[in-house]
Amino acid sequence: MSIGIDIKYAARLLVKKPAFTATTVFIIAIGLGLTLFAYSLLSSLIFKPLTLGTNQEFVAIEGQYDYSHAYRESVDPFHLNQLVQEVDAIDDITYYGSGTALLSAIDAKTGTKKFNATFAKWNFFDVAGKQPIMGRNFTEADNFEGAEKVIMLSYEVWQSYFKGDNNIVDSMVNVDSEPMRVIGVMPENFAFPSHAQTWLLMPADQINPTKPSRNSAFGIARLNNSSSIEKLNQELSHFNQRMKADLPEEFIWRLRNGDNYLQATAYKKANSDVREYYSIFISLMVVVFLILLLACINVGNLLLTRVNERYKEIAIRVALGVPRQRLISQMLWESIFFCAIGAFIAFVLASWGIELTNAAFTRMFAVQQDQPFWWKLAIDGDALLVLFGAIVFMILITGLIPAWRALSGDFNAVLRDGTRGAMGKKASQTNKVLVISEILLSCIVLVIATILLTTSYFADKADYGVDTDKRITARLELPLEYYDVRWDTDFEAADHKKRNDFYYQLKSKLEDLPNIEAVAYMSQLPGTGEGTSHFEIEGMEAEVYNENPSSNNEVIGRDSWRAVGMHIIQGRDFDDRDAVPDANSMIVNESIALDLFPDGQAVGHRVRRISSRGEGEWQNIVGVVSDSYHGSAMDTSSAQYNSYHLMDSRSRQSINIAIHYKGGELQAKQTLFDTINATDANVAAYHIQSYQQLIQQPMMLVTTVSKIFLFCGVMAVLLAASGIYAVSANSITQKTQEIGVRRALGATDANIMKLFLSQAGIHLIIGLGIGIAISLWVINILQTTMIINSISYFIGLIAMPMLIIAMVLLATFIPTKKVVEMEPSEALHHD
Amino acid sequence: MQHKNKANKVLVELKNINKMFLTDEVETHALNGVNLTIDKGQYLSITGPSGCGKSTLLSLLGLLDTASNGEYKLAGHDVSHLNRDERAKIRNKEIGFIFQSFNLISDLTVAENVELPLTYRSDLTKQQRAKNVQEALDKVDMGHRAKHFPSQLSGGQQQRVAIARAIAGSPSVILADEPTGNLDSKNAQIVMSILDQLHAEGATICMVTHDPRSAARSQRIIEVFDGKIVSDQFNSEVSAIAV
Ligand SMILES: Nc1ncnc2c1ncn2[C@@H]1O[C@H](COP(=O)(O)OP(=O)(O)OP(=O)(O)O)[C@@H](O)[C@H]1O
Ligand SMILES: [Mg+2]
Repeated sequence: MSIGIDIKYAARLLVKKPAFTATTVFIIAIGLGLTLFAYSLLSSLIFKPLTLGTNQEFVAIEGQYDYSHAYRESVDPFHLNQLVQEVDAIDDITYYGSGTALLSAIDAKTGTKKFNATFAKWNFFDVAGKQPIMGRNFTEADNFEGAEKVIMLSYEVWQSYFKGDNNIVDSMVNVDSEPMRVIGVMPENFAFPSHAQTWLLMPADQINPTKPSRNSAFGIARLNNSSSIEKLNQELSHFNQRMKADLPEEFIWRLRNGDNYLQATAYKKANSDVREYYSIFISLMVVVFLILLLACINVGNLLLTRVNERYKEIAIRVALGVPRQRLISQMLWESIFFCAIGAFIAFVLASWGIELTNAAFTRMFAVQQDQPFWWKLAIDGDALLVLFGAIVFMILITGLIPAWRALSGDFNAVLRDGTRGAMGKKASQTNKVLVISEILLSCIVLVIATILLTTSYFADKADYGVDTDKRITARLELPLEYYDVRWDTDFEAADHKKRNDFYYQLKSKLEDLPNIEAVAYMSQLPGTGEGTSHFEIEGMEAEVYNENPSSNNEVIGRDSWRAVGMHIIQGRDFDDRDAVPDANSMIVNESIALDLFPDGQAVGHRVRRISSRGEGEWQNIVGVVSDSYHGSAMDTSSAQYNSYHLMDSRSRQSINIAIHYKGGELQAKQTLFDTINATDANVAAYHIQSYQQLIQQPMMLVTTVSKIFLFCGVMAVLLAASGIYAVSANSITQKTQEIGVRRALGATDANIMKLFLSQAGIHLIIGLGIGIAISLWVINILQTTMIINSISYFIGLIAMPMLIIAMVLLATFIPTKKVVEMEPSEALHHD
Repeated sequence: MQHKNKANKVLVELKNINKMFLTDEVETHALNGVNLTIDKGQYLSITGPSGCGKSTLLSLLGLLDTASNGEYKLAGHDVSHLNRDERAKIRNKEIGFIFQSFNLISDLTVAENVELPLTYRSDLTKQQRAKNVQEALDKVDMGHRAKHFPSQLSGGQQQRVAIARAIAGSPSVILADEPTGNLDSKNAQIVMSILDQLHAEGATICMVTHDPRSAARSQRIIEVFDGKIVSDQFNSEVSAIAV
């Protein structure tokens, strides 16, 4: 009954002040919407354990995360097999390596197409807990000597490439020009371990090695229900200790950073994008949480203003004997109404954000077809629970701030219409805390958001030292069937020659065409690829190998520079002299020459690669080339130093091609196709795209996340500006009478202004002091994975605090001015 | 004799003062052609029914508000056309206020409240200010409470602090708007004796009051009705004592 009255009373207040209601609901919707969105994003990508519908969590069992190559080290299957016997937290383990499979149907009507392939142990689908919808699973027998080669297809490959052919099971297909039997089709949307389209078996000797080997694979296991990752990692560290004793000297390189070798990671966290940008995701979480807090405080303040307006009324009610819990209940109902409407709008906003993000992911992974299958955001039951939790949190904060305020005053004093005493002190403390919290939260949110935003902006605009205009790029892959790769044999040189002949023939044929200017081959084109290794300079060797400089290493074709707009600065380009197997020539970039050699003269010096595994052969520097950058521009693993080796004696089965063309892009792409077909129809070209698109690839995740940050930043400025203004205007209005008293006692306008501005100054010093300290701490974490340039620092740590200072001073100046301009007699009677 | 000394004896001179308030298109004539002269050292009471314009008159005297028209001379200077800061300076030096609701500032201690008007002056050192504060508090017998906050004091004590604040800067006139209105009779008695004491020491006091007993303690009683002064009497008893 009484609750009914409270609800009616609260509802009436909402309708009576539509502008107030709209503002409040909007702020709530922003806070809750961002929370819901960020939760969906982070739980899909990182935090919600991957289970594939089972009740057990998947873990990745891999080596140390290698920052300079931005991936987890794969480990020896021998140890993974050993592990299963010795560790209790898991029952079974499987492992895999990733690659590609060039598929062509036997009928040869459909052309060759490249698919993502997972090379796995035969128990892969058992550990995954999924069976094929057609055909059969891998068996151990498929691995026996002389067994027929088999392939498992994904539902999507079956549907698109094989047009849903019902007789697909048991039919034969060509995989990398080798006939294999299709044994089955997996269920729709199954792409385990990440973005697999086909599954093949690892070679038998890799699956069941009998002793430590150079083989490498990524392990996957499912945690026992009674276990945890922490427990598994404890067991793993014991295992690592035992294993170390038996490890032959030649594999000691497997142990990195002390004795670390095998490590278990929550499956989603092992993803290299997540690992690389983990700190960005965490900052997103921090920023969104702060915005939620900011929104709570803003709404709390709005409701507080209203309590102050109604303070006399409340005092009278208390005097008349209305129990305090009734007053609290009334205020909570008001908050409940606001939050309920806000939550509804938040849901709509978050759904919209999720749709945009999913679309961005689709675009981001379109070329490489490597979207991890769990990177699909949705508002699930857990997300709704979180939304519900956030609503309760918000109701409590926004309802309790004013309720506490309303009930903590000395009502007698108010009713005596008395002093600026009893009630004033508590109120001004509340206001002080509110203003400082606003400043502090705004500071952290704005600093982090702008630093991330500007960093990704500059990375996006980065100059990679190459011309990308009128260039297309592609990856060429030579079929193993016709282009052998035999290491350390007499045939090796002949194999290289065969591959080179194709590459150089294609280059000269293309360059003869009127619409092609130049052709380059590079193992990784500038703007992409990452990872460095150490090298030492003859005569300048460091004591410890990893105190030597490190560079990114690329293999390139002859006469490649002009096609990407680079040029030789010193010495010469590669030519016939460098093609002989033991020529050991190399070219370094300008930065290496300038930074590491006396007078920048690098030509004629010798360097060699060096690592924990030993050192390479001495290489002669024959030339210096202009600077270009590999890896994404905001990534700390991107290298400033590059060294280049001639392709001829290192020729690979697959390489990147860049083509400088005239005329249209489509025509250039067609020309590439036609010329490859005319040279060798078995060679596949894929990932054909413009150079600009290629460069954007590694940045796309950051670009997407930075758009979210932009939104957060804009909202933070909005909330901060309106919040700071409302809180300080509210607190100054409450002091109207005090100002009246001071003016009656002879304070001039300047005296009053000085008083309030210096109070604002103290709030700023406390708020910004704490805010900047926390921001610096977060930035410090961010810095481990990204390069933050000085302009970003300036905007984040100087411009943003200045903006806040300006906002606070303005928010103090305007309301104070208003009160000061009142006649003192009027100010004295203000209530 | 009165005529001869006029120039230095007259402190306040109001000529044909009007005050009109405009709220929601409604004009309220709070004061209508008020003429008033107050001499130095005089103790004056203003009485009248509620809403007749007593507080408005006091606000104008205290330069807390400006008249709609008319002339106001304070110590021989025309103060009708001063700007906000000039008026603030005069309030600070020449006028001491005592309010019905005390109007102490809750964030400041008793001593700081009393010191407040002195801090707006540039001609006093810190030591001088402290001395003034101590003297003023001693006068109202509140010296022992200097470090307290207003909320820790009773109403009567708060009003005594407010009086100390009003006199700390040695103003030429003390303006009090129903200074005992919020107090019980015992505390009212104490406050009234302090005012008597101040008057005896030579202060000019102008007090609005409803209480005939309080009014009776003053030298001169003015009665306001509907924005006009309708009676102006010297209280023979009291003035006899003073003379
Ligand atoms: N700021 C204002 N705006 C509008 N009208 C006002 C204002 N201040 C006073 N008045 C009006 O002027 C008239 C005189 O008010 P004033 O406060 O001077 O009365 P008072 O004699 O002090 O009454 P009381 O004994 O009740 O305090 C009243 O009619 C009042 O309503
Ligand atoms: Mg009055």
